Amino acid sequence: MAYAWAMVGTMGRGDASARAPESARFGLGLRAPHMADFLAGRPAVGWIEVHPENYLDNAPARARLLDLRRDYPLSLHCVGLSLGSADGLEPEHLASLRALADESEPFLVSGHLAWNTSGGVYMNDLLPLPYTEESLAVVIRNVAAAQEALGRRLLIENPSTYLRFRHSTVPEPEFIVEVARRTGAGLLCDVNNIYVTCANFDFDPVVYLDWLPAELVGELHVAGHFRGARGGRPLLIDDHASPVSNEVWALYRRAVGRFGLVPSLVEWDRNLPPLPTLLAEVLIAERMAARGQIEAEDLRARSPASAGGSRAGAS
Amino acid sequence: MLALRELQSAFRRAVLEGDSAAIAPIVVEDGLFADERIAINRSNVLASTAAALGDVYAAVARLVGERFFDHAAQEFVCAHPPTNACLNSYGAGFPDFLAGFAPGRALVYLADVARLEWRLHLAAIAPDVAALTPDRLAGLKPSEMPALTFRLKPWLGYLASPWPVDRIWLASRPGSAGDARVDLDSGGVRLEILRHGDVVTFRPLPAGVFAFRAALAEGSTLEAAAEAALGAERAFDFARAFAQLFRDGLPVGILGRETA
Repeated sequence: MAYAWAMVGTMGRGDASARAPESARFGLGLRAPHMADFLAGRPAVGWIEVHPENYLDNAPARARLLDLRRDYPLSLHCVGLSLGSADGLEPEHLASLRALADESEPFLVSGHLAWNTSGGVYMNDLLPLPYTEESLAVVIRNVAAAQEALGRRLLIENPSTYLRFRHSTVPEPEFIVEVARRTGAGLLCDVNNIYVTCANFDFDPVVYLDWLPAELVGELHVAGHFRGARGGRPLLIDDHASPVSNEVWALYRRAVGRFGLVPSLVEWDRNLPPLPTLLAEVLIAERMAARGQIEAEDLRARSPASAGGSRAGAS
Repeated sequence: MLALRELQSAFRRAVLEGDSAAIAPIVVEDGLFADERIAINRSNVLASTAAALGDVYAAVARLVGERFFDHAAQEFVCAHPPTNACLNSYGAGFPDFLAGFAPGRALVYLADVARLEWRLHLAAIAPDVAALTPDRLAGLKPSEMPALTFRLKPWLGYLASPWPVDRIWLASRPGSAGDARVDLDSGGVRLEILRHGDVVTFRPLPAGVFAFRAALAEGSTLEAAAEAALGAERAFDFARAFAQLFRDGLPVGILGRETA
């Protein structure tokens, strides 16, 4: 299992399309309502990311995506892989994804540490896993199978969660790093999800972030969340319906300081504003990344020997 | 402790059937009841899937109002959940569900408006295929003609309704220039759903032509389609309708009896 990716890596597709182009630093999650604006205006963003599930059974949308692909590096962010499903992955779905990937040559392909299929039913959310040895074996098996079926390395995204299971034994950051190490997959570090999950369970998001090894992180996400409260405690919902909060930008700056200028993406899915508002968010990400690098250098200059992690806390 | 497969089945029952008996005891409460925590995921699933239905069935949603629609859509999602993540293909059964949905029974035309919207949606996401030119018929013997079947454009659709669903659909559009009031007794329609480039449209057809084309679209032989058309309209002109089918660029393939 540990060598799954090494095997996939020899399967022989050209590597050029899989490597991040130099320009692909700050990207935007492209949603259907902005497709026409993109086609007409070709706005200046470094890359685009889409949910491939929306293009598998929609021929005209797929043609428009392939048209855009000529001008933008593309990332396929799978929301329906169900990498945590005990039932395993759906071979037909994987085959459709593979065909789209072969056609569109994405430089990144990602999925989530979550599940959404059970008993032949698909539930349109990223559902939480118990973090146990059994789950670890299931996720590792599924990630390896997905990488093999897609012929590509996957990045695995940390989820936003609202509940934990009593029998979880492994902290989430340890769990996701173990999955990556044992499958050869990389990590998609969703800074907003770290913030949301840690706020909901009273963990330190900095400790979570610092647990992730820089060499595994291949992409960063930022997005807005809804800040609610229940029983005198914060309850944050990852709804992608508002601008990125200041707290998440601060965590993002720290992420860039630790992981470098890996491709960063702004996600906005509900209450979609006009495209210029989203493009402005991408520009903010660019400025925040520059600040994050400066802050990291300052920190290093002040305390040269402060590197090194404590055990991660969130489970 | 539940094995992962059982845990996921139990979670599925909590989401789709509202039955959290098996899952709640293994959720850490931590300031919130287990059911409140489960309800967050449950409402994410139901609301996002209902919203996907709302994109397809926008006219139905406007006709019944947001709250009624969400209620109906979420009941449909629980009873007939998606089987995979490609939600573009989800919701074919919603018109039939609406037809049997007691709270909407007074709106007799609602299910047929939904059927029109599903047809429009299918037309929008279908691939296009190059049209057949009439010279492909040149090599065929007259005796072969009755048994021929045709493949038509993948986006083509036919819908008949006893209600004026075309005008109801138009009137329901935001900023509509259609009739503000549609007389339900003004008669039914036979509609052909077409696509020009990326633009989906529909138009009414006379009874004979409608029966002819709808039968061909369902895979009937030319002979059977002509009979259906004559049954629907005595004055049906076969030669003219057959030529018009090709002038409209609808056939994309011809199959003989042996390959049909």
